[in-house]
Amino acid sequence: MDTNRLAKELREIQSDTKSGVTVEVLGDNLAHMQGTLKGPEESPYEGGKFYVDIQLTNSYPFEAPKMRFITKVWHPNVSSANGAICLDILKDQWSPALSIKTAMLSLQALLSTPEPNDPQDAVVARQYLDSYEEFVKHAKEWTAKYASENRKDEKEEKLKEMGFGEAAVRNALSRAAGDEQQALELLLTGL
Amino acid sequence: MSQGAGTQDTDDSDPDEGDADYGNAILSGVEAHVVKREEYRCLDAEQVLERQREAVRGVTQVLQVTQDDATQLLRAFKWNVNRVNDEWFGDEEGIREKVGLESSSSAPDEASGMVDDGAEVTCSVCYDEFPASKHTHVGCGHNFCATCWSGYLENAVSDGPSVLDLRCPQEGCKRRVPEPMAKRYLKGESAERLDVFKWRSWVDDNPRVKWCTGAGCEVAVLCHGDRGEGPVDVHCGCGASFCWSCQEDAHRPVDCETVKKWLVKNSAESENMNWILANTKPCPACKRPIEKNLGCMHMVCSQCKFEFCWMCCGKWSEHGERTGGYYACNKYSQSREKEGASEEEKRRAAAKQSLERYTHYYERWAAHGASQTKAAKDLAEMREAKILRLGDLQNTPVSQLKFVLEAMEQIAECRRVLKWTYGYGYYWMEEDGLRKKFFEFIQGDAESTLELLTEAVEKDLEEFFTEEKSLADFADFRGRLTGLTTTVKKYFTTMVTELEEGLPGVGSEVVRAVSLEATPAAEEPPKLRRSARLA
Repeated sequence: MDTNRLAKELREIQSDTKSGVTVEVLGDNLAHMQGTLKGPEESPYEGGKFYVDIQLTNSYPFEAPKMRFITKVWHPNVSSANGAICLDILKDQWSPALSIKTAMLSLQALLSTPEPNDPQDAVVARQYLDSYEEFVKHAKEWTAKYASENRKDEKEEKLKEMGFGEAAVRNALSRAAGDEQQALELLLTGL
Repeated sequence: MSQGAGTQDTDDSDPDEGDADYGNAILSGVEAHVVKREEYRCLDAEQVLERQREAVRGVTQVLQVTQDDATQLLRAFKWNVNRVNDEWFGDEEGIREKVGLESSSSAPDEASGMVDDGAEVTCSVCYDEFPASKHTHVGCGHNFCATCWSGYLENAVSDGPSVLDLRCPQEGCKRRVPEPMAKRYLKGESAERLDVFKWRSWVDDNPRVKWCTGAGCEVAVLCHGDRGEGPVDVHCGCGASFCWSCQEDAHRPVDCETVKKWLVKNSAESENMNWILANTKPCPACKRPIEKNLGCMHMVCSQCKFEFCWMCCGKWSEHGERTGGYYACNKYSQSREKEGASEEEKRRAAAKQSLERYTHYYERWAAHGASQTKAAKDLAEMREAKILRLGDLQNTPVSQLKFVLEAMEQIAECRRVLKWTYGYGYYWMEEDGLRKKFFEFIQGDAESTLELLTEAVEKDLEEFFTEEKSLADFADFRGRLTGLTTTVKKYFTTMVTELEEGLPGVGSEVVRAVSLEATPAAEEPPKLRRSARLA
């Protein structure tokens, strides 16, 4: 893996505060990162914050990063069960001239413009094509339920009330991608 | 055809020309049929390379492109020279873009040009800065540094033959990375792999050529015949036999579609069939378990000496022409329906019967298959070691013992054909009647004819290894075995042709007389009697 390039990529992402995309390395393994992206405006995902799991192989950047939504998303090109993403640049159309940031931005763009004819989740794609309004309703519900920033604050408060320190709570929530139960377990096991 | 300008023996070396087909058209019906069956050629790596070079040379000369571009064009059009020419002269620019070649308006030598500026340029893969002279592009202006090119290419080679179509690393750029450029950055093993992918592509991307299915065999088989029409049995020098059309084991006289159905059925029913696959059967007389270790169906229990037929477990004395009996274990007769049975009973009986019918055919198909494997193994042993010993014992040069190998090759081939007659019978002989009777008659006849040959090899030949025999005995044996081989070969060839044509003779008076006769002795056809005498 080209760590030199990776360091430059990360520096570039951190200095950019406008795009609504963040990427952080988890622990001390550069090959495993976690990204977040803001739900695009005027989409059913508006107001949501979506966590993405990013894993790099040794051949990065000559091989595409493996990306998966950790936050549940109701979208034709994202598996509603496991967050797997169907996007050409993450597969055969990957180019080493692309980067983790451009890939994250592409994911953000994908949320605005689904491709129901090349679906990852056939059920969602069917709904998108057949009853668009229901689709929007469902996607908004999921955004509010799983990706809401306010919800995150609530969770933070709750965990802090249990007696954990703020920094530890934030860290645990981030690593558990906002999953309260999992964060609690992380805190309890002290990992 | 004229496009292959410059090549001397177009018909032989250019796989894309239809000369062989023209040759067929001239022949009369029967001969054309025979020629079609033989129309394939086994090519080793060197011959594949030669044909590939030939095709590339032709395209290079006619289209005035580089060898690499010609290779890529040929790959894009499945190594069909005529199509490359037609498409190229129809829409050169369109083809250039589709295949990823440089547009004709730029100078041909600039395909992988260097940038000659003194300024520092950032490589868009590693984000490092380099003097512009250290950057390279493939004619599209997207520059990358040498380290990144080499990383990009190494990674692509490890992905497999798709490296041959590798495009510029820039997102969305369709320009192909030409071979000389790839070679510049690939070293050692990777460069060799690229070469291997390149020559193998003549087979991989060519619908008229397929790899031999034999394990570890690198022979390519070129088929001139009508592609995809009917089975074409290929016998490769490595010993593998397979059908060119469907890549399954050779299966004449059965067509590919039926073979597929049959194999699917076998895998679906395999749970019911597990007991069949067990290698042992109890001796019908003393019930001790017996393993069949020779190819012949004539079993002798080593304990109680009971002789029986492996197929039906019936007494051997009731089989074959030896006692004038009838070789009947290839027959399956539907059990009579009980009168007055309830609907439920009838349904159950029907299900049972359908399974029994399948079992009958499957068991025999599998038994002949096992015998085929055994025959192939015996042949290999004979060829590698035993034949030398036989030569020593009989004071005969090995070159004069070919008749033994030929007999054994014939046995393996016959087992294969017999095996598939059961697949044939299952699908094509569903109704009782004249056709089925006749089919079973020739099948049984073929089986008994082959048993004679098998016995001659497995019993009589063995005696020459273990017992004192005179030269005259051996000469006698040679004559007998050679005669038997010829008879069996002729019989099977005729049978395969007849079955493939759907038994056209069944309506004739002769056949009716044969298959309706009640007494077995009178049923033996002349061919069989001749072979019996030889035995």
